[in-house]
Amino acid sequence: MPGMNSGLDVDDPTVVSAFKLALLHQGIAAVLLFALLALAWVAVREFRPRSASAGQRAQAVPPEGPARQVLRIGFGLLWILDGILQAQPGMAVGLPSQVIEPTAQNSPTWVQHLVNWAGTTWSYHPIQAAAAAVWIQVGIGVWLLLARNGRLSQLAASAAVGWGLVVWVFGESFGGIFAPGLSWLTGAPGAALCYCVAAALLLLPDRYWRSMQTGRVLLGCFGAFLIAMAVLQAWPGRGFWQGNMRGQPGPLTAMVQSMAAQSQPSGLADVVSWFANVVRAHGFAVNLIAVVALVGIGLVFVAGRPKIARVALIVLAVFGLADWVLVQDLGFLGGLGTDPNSMIPMLLLATSGYLALTPQPGAAEAVASAPAPAAPAPAPAAPGPAGSQHRPWSRRLRPVSLIAALASARLGTVMSVGAVGVVLLGAVPMAAAQASSAAAPILAQALDGSSAPLNSPAPGFTLTDQSGKRVSLASLRGKAVLLTFLDPVCVTDCPLIAQEFREAGLLLAGERSRVELVAVNVNPLYSRVSYLQAFDREEGLAGITDWRYLTGSQAQLQPVWKNYGIASETLPAGAMLGHSDAAFVIGPNGRMLEELDFTPGPGSAATVSSFATELANAANQALSQS
Amino acid sequence: MSLFSPARLLVGLLALGAVVSCAACGSSGRPAATSPTATRPAASGAAEAAYSEATSQATWAVLPMGAASGPNEFWQLFLLSAGRQQWALDTPPDIATNGALELAGLSGTSIVAGVRPSLYLEFSPVSLTADAGEQWAAGPPAQRLADVPDALAATPGGGHLLALDEAGETSSTTSAGTTWTPLVTEHALAATAAGRGCGLTQLTAVAYSVAGTQLLAGDCGQPGVAGVFTHSAGGWRAAGPVLPAALANSRIQVLRLVTTSGQTTALLLAASGSHNDLVSAWLDANGTWTTSAPVSIGTASVRTTAFGASGSVAAVMSSGRGEVVTGPGAKWRQTPPVPAGRAVTIALPADGQVDALAAAGGVLAVWQLGDADEQWVKTQTVKVPIQYGSSS
Repeated sequence: MPGMNSGLDVDDPTVVSAFKLALLHQGIAAVLLFALLALAWVAVREFRPRSASAGQRAQAVPPEGPARQVLRIGFGLLWILDGILQAQPGMAVGLPSQVIEPTAQNSPTWVQHLVNWAGTTWSYHPIQAAAAAVWIQVGIGVWLLLARNGRLSQLAASAAVGWGLVVWVFGESFGGIFAPGLSWLTGAPGAALCYCVAAALLLLPDRYWRSMQTGRVLLGCFGAFLIAMAVLQAWPGRGFWQGNMRGQPGPLTAMVQSMAAQSQPSGLADVVSWFANVVRAHGFAVNLIAVVALVGIGLVFVAGRPKIARVALIVLAVFGLADWVLVQDLGFLGGLGTDPNSMIPMLLLATSGYLALTPQPGAAEAVASAPAPAAPAPAPAAPGPAGSQHRPWSRRLRPVSLIAALASARLGTVMSVGAVGVVLLGAVPMAAAQASSAAAPILAQALDGSSAPLNSPAPGFTLTDQSGKRVSLASLRGKAVLLTFLDPVCVTDCPLIAQEFREAGLLLAGERSRVELVAVNVNPLYSRVSYLQAFDREEGLAGITDWRYLTGSQAQLQPVWKNYGIASETLPAGAMLGHSDAAFVIGPNGRMLEELDFTPGPGSAATVSSFATELANAANQALSQS
Repeated sequence: MSLFSPARLLVGLLALGAVVSCAACGSSGRPAATSPTATRPAASGAAEAAYSEATSQATWAVLPMGAASGPNEFWQLFLLSAGRQQWALDTPPDIATNGALELAGLSGTSIVAGVRPSLYLEFSPVSLTADAGEQWAAGPPAQRLADVPDALAATPGGGHLLALDEAGETSSTTSAGTTWTPLVTEHALAATAAGRGCGLTQLTAVAYSVAGTQLLAGDCGQPGVAGVFTHSAGGWRAAGPVLPAALANSRIQVLRLVTTSGQTTALLLAASGSHNDLVSAWLDANGTWTTSAPVSIGTASVRTTAFGASGSVAAVMSSGRGEVVTGPGAKWRQTPPVPAGRAVTIALPADGQVDALAAAGGVLAVWQLGDADEQWVKTQTVKVPIQYGSSS
């Protein structure tokens, strides 16, 4: 009946089950991929030992510096953790409404529009989108961990920059930088931006990592950023100096209180609650500590002196970890956490900057033993990996070249190719799903359960269509008929159902001559043809050739409603007519094949679109059976 | 490396600039929501759509009930039949009344009711009853009726209909018609000699005179001119009342234009600076206007209005004060402040009594003014079974 709310629950069993199944299938495919690559690597090396020149070249690669290593391994692990968090059962349905939209709600309208577009895209294909987020992030993480250097490592970093930007823009609404209340303590300017910065640093050529200047610039920029964040934190009128504002919690107090209310271990909840009380009672002191700490650490980093930078890094680590626990509540507890928030990535960036600033024992020797980066490698006489970068791709992709490359590669390099496969495992199905403008039928199944299969003669009728012509069901024999019942003055459901039919008509464009979209008026009072015409104009249905909206006198309509089991009820006090929402699929042979007993719910675009897909699929099935 | 080298100072200044910018935009409030589809604005002094109108056989009242706005606000129609003491719910069936109800064509127990669009409904259904709501029939659907109480007019019994839509266009049809014929647009009318003479700024009402002539009314920019127009062979001409000289410098708005029981009544607001006066004007079957003396309402605005069968008019001001005039030649008299409610209108049943109908949530309280006009006495409570959630 109109008025029923059929929005999907975050833990909807149909969607959750489909999501788990998709993850299981893709997980098996990923394991098989790694196993196949490993098998191929072992087999090739067994039958074709790597050449001496390849071995020499492998030895010639300079070791990775600790600063880069911290970024690569640290962010690799973070990407994997984020991927695992994306696999939470409620993520498929819940991410748009519980993560994306709340993040955007205080941002300007243009940000909300942008984010809403992404949320809608996700909502249309929740299974593919959620699975893509899992495998892309796990894949990038594994890729970063396995590809230590060279082109594969840079490709991994490029993928991380790209995906990180997607997450930052659409998942974090630009980290909230356009919204009021921006604060470093609560996660500004967004964890994903840190991932992007880290990945961009990994793109730097090796020679930069051997220079202390890189450390100075990195730590200097980080310091300037902290000072800027301190200014924001101290800015008058932004409320951070007050734990209490006219009896209401200040912004920081409110943030900590909301974190304390999240579902989490009781011990942690107690600690966070305690800190919320501290902030409420001593807001000024807490903010003063934060501002002083940020300015102090920032100035030391800008100064770029290794000895005091080490002390500042330790202070930052203590301060950051305290904030991570007390303010950010570890970032991912309660609700649908997607990452551990910004503190861990910040600390990794600062640590990397510090390590790049300070010369590492043994680094000089390693640099000395490595060949000069600019020196060209000697051209090999025979095909082999050492000279592969100077040969055209067409030659390098020959089977013999690939086998030679595989034989000479490290296992880690081979496995990193597997990681690329994992990324594609998530990305490709999502991209394929995007090719369809309609939402996944799983949404309709989740909202309504399965449709009821029928196989009985469709009750006949003869009524008047919107142009005043008499139309009988028998005259439509030979075509698939999608039949529903609509109230032309309905203010909620019927316009949505009409839009589903309109969309289904578009999806069935190729079968237009073999399909009829038919609605029967269900309102006994507003049964004039002019109301059908007004409704058609309202819904953009006027002029659609295979759309027929039928009406008649109450004596003519009543038996049709009865034969199709459509109940209606006049409700008092200005409520619209209550009636059943149902659609029937009638085959070309005049037999009723299926009843889709649906209520379109609150009217999200994805919901509407998914019903349209289900209708179109049902019509196609009816045609294929004829 | 020096801590305060010129390069670092530059970087620091740039960072500070960025922070100041962020702080400035961060301090601003949440951006306004996207504006809804642009429609014709309601007239500045327009009465709310709660009102009552009467014939010699029945009095109807229209009030919003349920929630204060949104899909759980339902406009209700109440009926007090002649000779009865109790008001009863008479809202047209099978249509969601989340948009306001507009009454027209009152005659005996006949009325025409139009429903303003709401939610996904993009046009205005029209229904008619000849027996005080026992049976309803559908009339021709209208374009989106304007957000004024007199956007729909009908000849007695609803044979001919006249509508003013949100775009300021007027059109007419018959009750059996399937299409509406465009009459004139607000813009075109303003460009006529009559429109220029008034300085027409906005159409606010349509009506049929007792003689069945189409009347359009609106707000005038020219001081002292009442914007009522009628169509004759030579085109549109001014047909408004001549107002008292005391209002020569006031801008006149037509708040209501209603035809009941043998006469057309206009309720005018005369605004001079922040000071407002109310004037009522009656057009008899001979085409002659009679105007009341103006009554000052200070800076208040008119919230709800009422029209009785014998030409009586009442208004409830934003201050809660009520004013009633019993007909041509009579003086305005003030009532005690009307009882509290989310929407309160006075009703003037045919027998001359003055009722106040106060709606709040799902309850309508009916009050009657005592003989000495001293106080309101509660006489009835109507519980309305609001169907919360039925439109959402």
